[in-house]
Amino acid sequence: MTAGSRGFRFSVISAPMLWLAAFFLSPFVIVFAISLVAASDGQPPFASPLLMSNLTFDNYRLLVGDDLYAFAFGNSVRIAATSTVLCLLLGYPMAYAIVRAPQAMRNGLLLLVVLPFWTSFLIRVYAWMILLRPSGLINLALQGLGVIDQPLPLIANQFAVHLGIVYSYLPFMVLPIYAALERLDPALLEAAFDLGCRPWRAFWRVTVPLSAPGIIAGCLLVFIPAVGEFVIPDLLGGPDTPMIGRVLWTEFFSNRDWPAAAAVATALLVALVGPIVVFQILERRGAES
Amino acid sequence: MWGSRQSRVWLTLTAILALVAASSAGDVRAQGGGGLNVYNWNDYIDEATLHRFETETGIRVRYDVYDSNETLDAKLRAGRSGYDLVVPTASPFLALQVPAKLYQPLDRGKLKNYGNLDPEIMRRLAAYDPGNQHAVPWMWGTTGLGYNSAAIQKVMPDAPVHSLRMLFDPAVVAKFQRCGVVVLDSPTDVVPAALNFLGRDPDSHKKEDLDAATDALMKIRPFVRKWHSSEYINDLANGDACLAFGFSGDIKQAAKRAAEAHKDFRVIYSIPEEGSQIWIDSWVIPADAPNPAAAHRFLDFVLRPDVAALNSNFIGYANAVPASRPMIDPAVRDDPTIYPPDEVRRRFYTISAPDRTYERLRTRAWTRVATGH
Amino acid sequence: MTQPLIRIEGVSKTFGDTAAVDGVSLEIGAGEFFALLGPSGCGKTTLLRLLAGLETPTAGRIVIDGVDMAAVPPWRRPVNTVFQSYALFPHMTVAGNIAFGLKQDGMARTEIKARVEEMLDLVQLRGYGGRKPNQLSGGQRQRVALARSLAKRPKALLLDEPLAALDRKLRDQMQVELAALQRRLGLAFIFVTHDQDEAMALASRIAVMRDGHIEQLGSPRAVYETPSSRFVADFLGRANVLGGRVAGRDGAFLLLEASGMTLRALAPVDVSPGSEAWLAVRPENVTFEDRGYANRMSGTVSAVAYVGGVSNFEVEVAGGMKLRATVSNRAGDASVHPPLGADVHVSWSAEAGVLLTR
Repeated sequence: MTAGSRGFRFSVISAPMLWLAAFFLSPFVIVFAISLVAASDGQPPFASPLLMSNLTFDNYRLLVGDDLYAFAFGNSVRIAATSTVLCLLLGYPMAYAIVRAPQAMRNGLLLLVVLPFWTSFLIRVYAWMILLRPSGLINLALQGLGVIDQPLPLIANQFAVHLGIVYSYLPFMVLPIYAALERLDPALLEAAFDLGCRPWRAFWRVTVPLSAPGIIAGCLLVFIPAVGEFVIPDLLGGPDTPMIGRVLWTEFFSNRDWPAAAAVATALLVALVGPIVVFQILERRGAES
Repeated sequence: MWGSRQSRVWLTLTAILALVAASSAGDVRAQGGGGLNVYNWNDYIDEATLHRFETETGIRVRYDVYDSNETLDAKLRAGRSGYDLVVPTASPFLALQVPAKLYQPLDRGKLKNYGNLDPEIMRRLAAYDPGNQHAVPWMWGTTGLGYNSAAIQKVMPDAPVHSLRMLFDPAVVAKFQRCGVVVLDSPTDVVPAALNFLGRDPDSHKKEDLDAATDALMKIRPFVRKWHSSEYINDLANGDACLAFGFSGDIKQAAKRAAEAHKDFRVIYSIPEEGSQIWIDSWVIPADAPNPAAAHRFLDFVLRPDVAALNSNFIGYANAVPASRPMIDPAVRDDPTIYPPDEVRRRFYTISAPDRTYERLRTRAWTRVATGH
Repeated sequence: MTQPLIRIEGVSKTFGDTAAVDGVSLEIGAGEFFALLGPSGCGKTTLLRLLAGLETPTAGRIVIDGVDMAAVPPWRRPVNTVFQSYALFPHMTVAGNIAFGLKQDGMARTEIKARVEEMLDLVQLRGYGGRKPNQLSGGQRQRVALARSLAKRPKALLLDEPLAALDRKLRDQMQVELAALQRRLGLAFIFVTHDQDEAMALASRIAVMRDGHIEQLGSPRAVYETPSSRFVADFLGRANVLGGRVAGRDGAFLLLEASGMTLRALAPVDVSPGSEAWLAVRPENVTFEDRGYANRMSGTVSAVAYVGGVSNFEVEVAGGMKLRATVSNRAGDASVHPPLGADVHVSWSAEAGVLLTR
């Protein structure tokens, strides 16, 4: 096999395809299959999906019948959307500042952005608990300084959930935007200035539209996982706002109803991925015309 | 893209992989042949006794921990967990797992110390494990109130700390909203307590009783800061919560932590006078355990009075071997919240396993209470 | 005399320790086609950017149309730039690009449309308004860049190596078009290039730059035929430069002792005898024929290069120096074309050589 031959190309492309097939498509097929049968007591606690006679849509009827699922999904989408916007407002200036920094400092700054990932995600969320608790460091500091005399409710509410999500997912917003901004030709901004555009307007007319691919990538990378988040709402959130991740957990662990949980998971995937697929199809049609 | 030959190859590959994976569940981590794989709650054994077992028998022990019954249950149901001994709680988990044939019956012939077990505990356990065929009790305790003595004293000096009214009477619990009320996120433990408070049968599976309990819980809902099954330990120990409803063992641990951190308050556990749900954690052997013989030797080992006493001293819970009483620390043995007197024990209640329909109703009612929706 | 459009007075620009532009003074009139010519690093692009406002001078001042540009940022200057990479906005159409500057001025929509059409006509890209830059060829993109910069009717157009990215044929064509455009519009065009042919073909005046300052300023003819320094002589047209000492005067010519001979050259300035000087003579003025020229050397042909219209020769003379001679290959021309290795005499007239003092 030479470097250019079809065989070589096939095996190089097939490696990620194989990975996707094994670790993405197959698990999804399994989960979907489980969602089509009834729960049972035993090992495993559901009827066999391989028998056609066992297949039923009851689990999906359950999702539609109780508005808890729609409510939780709505909460998740709302919180994820708000967090995404906050990430964008914080992340864009960060990426911009890194691009404008001297070349020697840039790698160091990027490393700082990525550094939190070297620690366990769970530990970092716990760290926020230690900071936000009524007896936590923030309240202690504020009380010590005399700014407040009763501890502020910083945890077990939506504020803490947003904080946790923004903190955890910020690098996913910064890096794609940085990549897009870095590719930007500085001559374009100079051309804008030359043609009479003030810096602030040039930012909105030239820089932002040209960094749009980075913005979109960053938003998707934050929004989609944030919708299904479980750990952050569980540890930092309050009971008032059920999110879909928690609902799925309850189906699986409290109700021991794996098929219902699988149905929730499948519905969640379709609800998130569906619009993206439609969007891509439309975009492809637009490009062809 | 979808029509090309290459993509059809991928789809077929995916389908094959899916079928292969679906038909073989579970992972194969067993240390078969000559070892012992134990899966237990965290902080639930005196490591010294483990070493002693290894020395005496020469069997190497592999010890893993978990922090929730749900995790254990899911692992067991997926199959082929690779463990020889696990420690589920009797209600509702053991009760559901036994009929699902997840465990193998014990060979009493291999357990010469079996007679050391407390008959009363065994009687209660039989409700979950008919004929006591599968389970050997490890530790037991009660479900009740944990409170921050200093905080409660400040807000309501004459608070009814020995009664369920602390939690379920809206007039009382409202006072504690500010200093923080945390409740177990467990319908199987809290709903029966609510029923008990209302004077109804805690083990009722009737919808009207469930509705009554839900109403009672909704009334106190505004005053509860958090519904969480493990966070209340930290919250009590830190002083972030002044009242909690949870397991005796957990609350005792919180008390120990608060004392170790030299806090200026004490965490106290009290068994409600209206009655309390007794929980029993017991050893069982999974049906597909790789080393059942070694498992039996371990069970026989922990049934020895001296071993049982050592573990009770270490964990601070009551064990099910009466002969170990003389060897237990007075601090543990004479504590009426760990080893309650007879009249308190008479008011214990146990909960039977629900059927799927009731379980779903109860979980849904619980979600309504916890989330308000 | 009317005020020049642009006055650059003692402008310097330093980056760190290096002075990219060092004390440059210059005047450019409205309607001039002006070239800044020099090798890379000579400061020509920096000077252009100083005019555009994209850099601020460390010293000196720039006055455009009577207004000191000291506090004026690029978006308020009455000049526009065509960048070397064209810098067309990839996310806008051709029409959008051209209209960009007009929108910043708050022009009415209908007026913008009309002006855009006018510009497209001007650069012969009528009908291309809806295309995106990535759908255009290099030459088309350059025209769009031109149209975009001219749309605002600036007082001067600044061009940074405008033809560098184009191939030979296209470049020649664009040169003609640029010249025509400038004549038609009557605007000042100031362009930067390292290509001396281009500078001479287009510009009415050239500033030859070196190391941040202007070596010589003048018309193409002046700069080519009477260079003021060896650098200029060498940069434009690769003149032959012979070094020596001034021996004396002979009427209009100065005598130079160089390579063991006495040479005669025109002297733009008076030079005292005994001082160091150089003689520059262009290869096309060096001939193999005997025409009775005052300056004569003998040597051997060491290289011959036939390049179509002319042939370039290298003759090694006494002292190891190589003289360059260019002979036309015009059909029917009876000029001498000596072969490689031949012993020859090369000579040039006294008027053909220029004496340089630096």
